[in-house]
Amino acid sequence: MVRMDLLATLVPALPLLGTLVTGFGRRKLSAYAAGGLASAMVGLSFVCSLVLFLGHDGGTHIVHLFNWITVADMNIPFAFQIDALSLWMMLFVTGVATLIHIYSIGYMHDDPRVATFFAQLNLFTFAMMLLVMGSNFLVTFIGWEGVGLCSYLLIGFWYTNPGYNYAGRKAFVMNRIGDVGMVLAMTLMFLQFGTLEYAQIMDKAGSFGAGNPILVMCTLLLFLGATGKSAQIPLLTWLPDAMAGPTPVSALIHAATMVTAGVFLVVRSSVLYELAPYTQEVVLWIGVATALFGATVGLFQNDIKKVLAYSTVSQLGYMFAAVGVGAYSAGMFHVTTHAFFKALLFLGAGSVIHALGGEQDIRRMGGLRNKTKTTYITFLVATLAIAGIPPLSGFFSKDGILAGTFEGHPVAWAILVLAAVFTSVYMFRLLFLTFFGTYRGTASPHESPRVMTIPLVILAVLSAIGGVLNIPHVFGGNEWMKQHLMTAVDGVLNEHLSITAGTEFTLMGITLVLVLLGAWYAWKLYGGKTTLDGEPDDMPFLKRLIARKWMLDELYAYLVERPFGWLSRHFFSIGEDKLAVPLTAGVGETSYRFGDWLRKIHTGNTSLYLFAMMLGVVVLLLITWMGA
Amino acid sequence: MELLALLLIPLVAGSILLVARPAAATARGLAFTSTLLTLAVVLWLWYNWTGDAVTVLSRDWVPAWGLRLSFGYSGIGLLMLVLTGVLYPFIIATGYKQPVGDASLVNALLLYCQAALFGVFMVQNAILFYIFFETSLIPIFFLLLRWGGEHKRAITVRFFLYTLMGGLALLFSIAYTTLQAPGHSADFSALAAANIPLATQKWLFWTMFLAFAIKMPVFPFHSWQPETYTMAPTQGTMVLSAIMGKMGIYGIVAFLYPILPEGTAYWQDFVIWLCLIGALYAAVIAFRQENFKRLVAYSSMSHLGLMAAALFTWNAYGISGGLYQTFAHGVLMICLFYIVGMMNLRVGSNRFADMGGLKTRMFRFALMFMLIVGNAISMPLTQSFPGEWLMFNGLWQLNHWMALAGVVLIILGAVYMLYAYQRVLLGPDRDVPIADADDQEHFFLVPLILIIFLVGLFPNLALSLVDGPVQHLLNAIPPLP
Repeated sequence: MVRMDLLATLVPALPLLGTLVTGFGRRKLSAYAAGGLASAMVGLSFVCSLVLFLGHDGGTHIVHLFNWITVADMNIPFAFQIDALSLWMMLFVTGVATLIHIYSIGYMHDDPRVATFFAQLNLFTFAMMLLVMGSNFLVTFIGWEGVGLCSYLLIGFWYTNPGYNYAGRKAFVMNRIGDVGMVLAMTLMFLQFGTLEYAQIMDKAGSFGAGNPILVMCTLLLFLGATGKSAQIPLLTWLPDAMAGPTPVSALIHAATMVTAGVFLVVRSSVLYELAPYTQEVVLWIGVATALFGATVGLFQNDIKKVLAYSTVSQLGYMFAAVGVGAYSAGMFHVTTHAFFKALLFLGAGSVIHALGGEQDIRRMGGLRNKTKTTYITFLVATLAIAGIPPLSGFFSKDGILAGTFEGHPVAWAILVLAAVFTSVYMFRLLFLTFFGTYRGTASPHESPRVMTIPLVILAVLSAIGGVLNIPHVFGGNEWMKQHLMTAVDGVLNEHLSITAGTEFTLMGITLVLVLLGAWYAWKLYGGKTTLDGEPDDMPFLKRLIARKWMLDELYAYLVERPFGWLSRHFFSIGEDKLAVPLTAGVGETSYRFGDWLRKIHTGNTSLYLFAMMLGVVVLLLITWMGA
Repeated sequence: MELLALLLIPLVAGSILLVARPAAATARGLAFTSTLLTLAVVLWLWYNWTGDAVTVLSRDWVPAWGLRLSFGYSGIGLLMLVLTGVLYPFIIATGYKQPVGDASLVNALLLYCQAALFGVFMVQNAILFYIFFETSLIPIFFLLLRWGGEHKRAITVRFFLYTLMGGLALLFSIAYTTLQAPGHSADFSALAAANIPLATQKWLFWTMFLAFAIKMPVFPFHSWQPETYTMAPTQGTMVLSAIMGKMGIYGIVAFLYPILPEGTAYWQDFVIWLCLIGALYAAVIAFRQENFKRLVAYSSMSHLGLMAAALFTWNAYGISGGLYQTFAHGVLMICLFYIVGMMNLRVGSNRFADMGGLKTRMFRFALMFMLIVGNAISMPLTQSFPGEWLMFNGLWQLNHWMALAGVVLIILGAVYMLYAYQRVLLGPDRDVPIADADDQEHFFLVPLILIIFLVGLFPNLALSLVDGPVQHLLNAIPPLP
């Protein structure tokens, strides 16, 4: 037990140590030293997670460090919960994070603030670990806010660009809007259950019966927090802007790990969601709508990172659709495989951008498959995986979600299949425009150094074979992921697929054919392009509307940002300058004259004031005394 | 004995400065040493605190007026003493880098003020409280009048009379209650035993609350605050915002709850909404402020509004959270106003228009500022978070709409603080010679930042002081309908 406590504490402590050393030593450490140190810290954290994971006995262990907030009957410990769910998150987050740290050594080595970059990346890992390891909502919330802050810092890493700073603030504020839900949910739960410990809340929730309005309220508020962190409708517009950050940041924070925190939260609270069918409907439909939304917008983006950003939004929608129908293991499975292939896609995109000296517009790419061979092959693997081509990982994880939704919600299934087709189109469009045809830019492309390509290769292997984690019964698998999570996530116990193997194969067939058609369509339009006349900047109205994310940004600007700025200015100019101050100016005027008068008879004499004050006291007391 | 030392050390040190008028360096050294001594004393008190209320002295002075020499403290008073003791060395030290005028005189005034503030938090007699409450104003009045910025005379005199007016209302209510109290004693314990009918409590509430509402200040009694904070020299603003405003908070717990429980209950909802509306109002205004110092002033008002609202919730979470937050807020205000002063020193104004694009030249400063911003927007593991969490719990227990109004502040806080940070430091590199934080400034802010994280990680250090007394307070008062 002592060994487990120590290892569990080391998992977040090592990246924190890395933050402190690289942060304070930022002037003394060379780029390689800082990068190596930061990577080593996260790598060791991964090793600790792995040891814990391998030694896990299937139970739930609480690692109690100290009592954090104690008031009256409230006692919130600073403690970690080590169980199948948190272990799995720890394992793949630190694993992917280690690869991205190593990649960053190559990607960021020319940046003058490379040590600061690694300090912030380490800090993010630390916060993410608190998020997944917390034994209660409030410790999770430490990580929740911490990853938000790191996200803000890293989006605005290149701080001389005002647009990037704005993007950072936008991300933080939109997350904070979600956090309002999170905080309110926590207060509500604390007052209802008298605790914030996951284990105890899940125990006590049973007495509330399904559909209880309090649980509906709790789960909806929690979900509001999740929509902020995981960029779901309506709080999604920050994620595409977050691409302002360096590409490894987009890979780690805005694709593989942080944005899946919302899904994690729902899975962690599966008992509550199971008891609130109304909320489950909301989660499902928000997820489905976001999946379609992201996939449509992704069709018309020309910035390589923007395509991937909308793809992330869309894939997160799939995950929420899964947990919305109670298919928690399928959701977590997709979280995992998505972490592999989306991290790979972003790192591949980073490698391309690196190769082209900063170019991000796919209209000025093309023909890179011969010049950047490793990047091309790994990117191809990731594209096949995300499109859901068997036997790559995405096929299995997406299939789990589709099969889960078909049973109770065929309409949702149909929309998700449509989104899968769009996914295939925009991903192959991206692939063909980047790597096929002839090069349309002016830079001299070159392959990235080993330190960048090796992580690509590892992630490509994981993206390819990641499906083995949860091979469904129809393929003779044993659904390992589901078995694993069952010990920690009560909701998984309720998962049972009653559709027949025949139906499941039919569904797979339909999806696969449509996806391949999508790929073929993309090839017809974009394969082998030498020039790009088909992509003018002035698109027809509907296209333009979709490309500009259905005008969501404009909507928020007119409905929220501008009115708020107006309010802020006018509260000041009217509320303060015209009302509050003048109305009390009576006091001011009188006082001014009084001050003048005082100045004339006694020039600011302390004793006078003291005397006058004491006199007042005496007189008043005399009056009251006589009155008594 | 220790309490006497707290009163005498600053008084003696201040008097020496006034009489001897030493050179600036000596004056600051002496003042700083004396605040270190008082710091040692409050830490000693804290270390030795057993959890019970301490009575040090209780003796008649002017029996006819109910004026008794009652000194002592509970955990709540001790927290306030700790607050004053911990923050004062920083306030004095600010004078090293950001000096105003005659060092002897400025420091003497600040030390006199400290003595009065200690007095406020250690007396157990309402009239004595009033005397210290008003006396603390006098040194600040001269500080502002002599070394303030633009329009200092008009603003200072207005501020002084405004708060004095509140004070007189307080005095009246003290006198009135003393007459109803057993033995016509003005000791808090006696006043609490006074049997005041509800009809009287209803109006008496406002005569008492007015003084505290102006002092904190809460909406709509705040109109003196932004311009006074903006105009005052840095050290004056620090004393006003970090400590003097807390006299209002303390007053709510010391006066309103025990003496006028039914009157407070009657006005509870109204006052909480007033405080929350004010907090939201100030937070909205802060966003578009063009003046850094005034932005911090409005942010202070926003935070205090939330604290006051939480104190009126009448439950352990709200009151403990609000009291805890006085300490967190005090540290935050010292940090922020020091940073405003640092920028003023470098660019010669408090206007955002004169800042921006400076981060490349000020990495050390930028890091410290960012950590402080983290505290200002109450990131978990900074000092502000546990307080806000408790306050939200307290508000929700009463009414979830109040909790919602309170929680919206975490959005608005992020909106205006991050925007302020951006306008001070970020943006296209501005090609001007500007110095990063020097060692002296570094060693000023680092201990404060350490406090921020130490208390953020172990909030029970402060919470354990107030937890017991607050529950005691709630038990002593019958639960409200």
